[in-house]
Amino acid sequence: MVFTFILVPLVLASLMPLIGKISKRFLPDVLTNITLLFLLIYSITIGRQIISSGTGIRQLVWLGQQLNITLALDGFSLLMLFLISLISFTVGLYCINYMEHYGSKAIFYALFLLMITGMNGLVLSTDLFSIYIFLEVAAVASYALVAFGLGYDELEASFKYLMLSTVATAFILISIALIFGFTDSLRLHDVALAFQLLNTKYLVGLCMALFIFGFGLKAAIVPFHAWLPDAHPSAPAPISAMLSGVLIKISGIYAITRIFLNVFGLNPAISTVLMYLGVISILVGAIIAFSQNDIKRMLAYSSISQIGYIILGIGLGTPLGILGGLFHLFNHAIFKSLLFLNSGAIEQATGTRALDKMGGLAKRMPITAATSVVGSLSIAGVPPLNGFWSKLIIIIALVQAKAYGFAIVAVLASVITLWYYLIIQRQAFFGKLNETWKDIKEAPFWMSASMIILAMICIAIGILFPIILKSWLAPATNVLSAGVNYTINLFRF
Amino acid sequence: MTQILLLIALVIFSILTVLLRDLLKAAISLAVASIFLAIIFFRMNATYAGVFELSVVAGLITVLFISTIALTKGESDVRESKVVRILFPIFFVLFIIIDIVVMKALINRLMVVRYPAPIGNFGQVLWGQRTLDLVGQIGVIFAGVFAVIALFRKRGEK
Repeated sequence: MVFTFILVPLVLASLMPLIGKISKRFLPDVLTNITLLFLLIYSITIGRQIISSGTGIRQLVWLGQQLNITLALDGFSLLMLFLISLISFTVGLYCINYMEHYGSKAIFYALFLLMITGMNGLVLSTDLFSIYIFLEVAAVASYALVAFGLGYDELEASFKYLMLSTVATAFILISIALIFGFTDSLRLHDVALAFQLLNTKYLVGLCMALFIFGFGLKAAIVPFHAWLPDAHPSAPAPISAMLSGVLIKISGIYAITRIFLNVFGLNPAISTVLMYLGVISILVGAIIAFSQNDIKRMLAYSSISQIGYIILGIGLGTPLGILGGLFHLFNHAIFKSLLFLNSGAIEQATGTRALDKMGGLAKRMPITAATSVVGSLSIAGVPPLNGFWSKLIIIIALVQAKAYGFAIVAVLASVITLWYYLIIQRQAFFGKLNETWKDIKEAPFWMSASMIILAMICIAIGILFPIILKSWLAPATNVLSAGVNYTINLFRF
Repeated sequence: MTQILLLIALVIFSILTVLLRDLLKAAISLAVASIFLAIIFFRMNATYAGVFELSVVAGLITVLFISTIALTKGESDVRESKVVRILFPIFFVLFIIIDIVVMKALINRLMVVRYPAPIGNFGQVLWGQRTLDLVGQIGVIFAGVFAVIALFRKRGEK
């Protein structure tokens, strides 16, 4: 039953404050991680069924009475669901040690689970308004999580994030209201069909523009990125990993891709707009990241840059471009989460995020250093790691579509990416050990374990990429390549 | 005509809410704006939306705002930049112009698709057909409550 993905984290979140009264740390840790592991295993089992059967649409009828909770799980939403489950599981493990000194672990886990509920709900919805509501569930939980440290910077960043997010949701809501006004329905199937019948490019153009403002702000595409470089570094490291790794992709890219490709249909004009937004994000993110001294801020700007690659690939609209975009989305979630977890381990050990104060940490923190090297090389696109293949596919797709300019920028930005990740490695981990840090220790067990898992996944995907492409990414690409017809034919309930 | 006057009143009170520097006055003008909105809802046959707007937004939220304002002290006066006061009217006028142009173009040109309306009364539609939204709403409420608990916890616990 697909509804489990929404119900289980929601129920556990609601019970968490009570569980926290019984046991402050042990029970919240154990229950949350068991639940996250269950969701991960369940997403894999259900995924195998869907991949083998080819289609995967479910309608929920509860207890014999029609409650009309309609959820759909297809190749694209499955990929996202799996990604959410995978990253949240590793982040959950990391939290066991990392969140010790923040206090109120039960409330933290409650908010964390609600964020997962929101993302899972968004991915499974077949209705524009439900998408909006679950977007808000994830967003409200994430505002609180960004400010969880209660310091001045955290509160300021969270407030800025809240304000800009509200503007984004206002745009999204206006667009949904317009669509409802003209089509009398909010279901993706009805809306897709109505737009085919109406054939109104003005309305589609307006709604797309509003969605680009709204979801673009959520995805932090340049020029709507102002909130991200504050919000992501200020959050506790595991939350930064969730925000940069998954949340911006679900609430921004998943929503925009699903609506544009499967409901409105991608036309050449919108494709060009998306590609330009993508390429601007790649450049601006990379160039600003280059000059940062705060390690988490550098990673945050790097997220903007990598989101640009994803948008560029998906915006291109060819099956290969979509495949590359989705593959990069998948990979970026893994290595960016890993890098944020690394930065959290460093911050916890040294108490600083300033790169120029670090140095030689590899001698004291070998696991963090080794996993960080894997993450950095992956994101920079060094073969044979996973980031190399996804960037390569995007660049091949661009060349095939004769978008040479975009391809050149993508390659150049990749070099810049490699450069600033090498700076991180050199300043933080290599060179002479700074005397101040001679007594620091490696990250505790669970933190190290989650970093190792993510690093292993980076390497495994890099080596086994044909299998991943065939089993998990091809169904998702098929859904998106089929365009509007997919929604019209298969989302009919 | 009445409708247009009501809409203008709604916009004026909304602007006042943004521009007034006294928080108490701003909260009250927000309440007045939502009363106008509630009247517009009633006139457009959205009676349930009107009731919720009136009782929750104009009533409950205003009470919450005003009690919060009464509980805070005005010691830390934050200086606001004057740029906002100049930029806001410019953006507002621009927005109105774009809005009128776009909407006029759209409304005159577009056909509308009419799917059959949901069968049943308000309660049946809400509980029977928007159940997933209600689940989402439970999530939003929990998130809000836990956010308050998390942000107002004792700092010593950190």
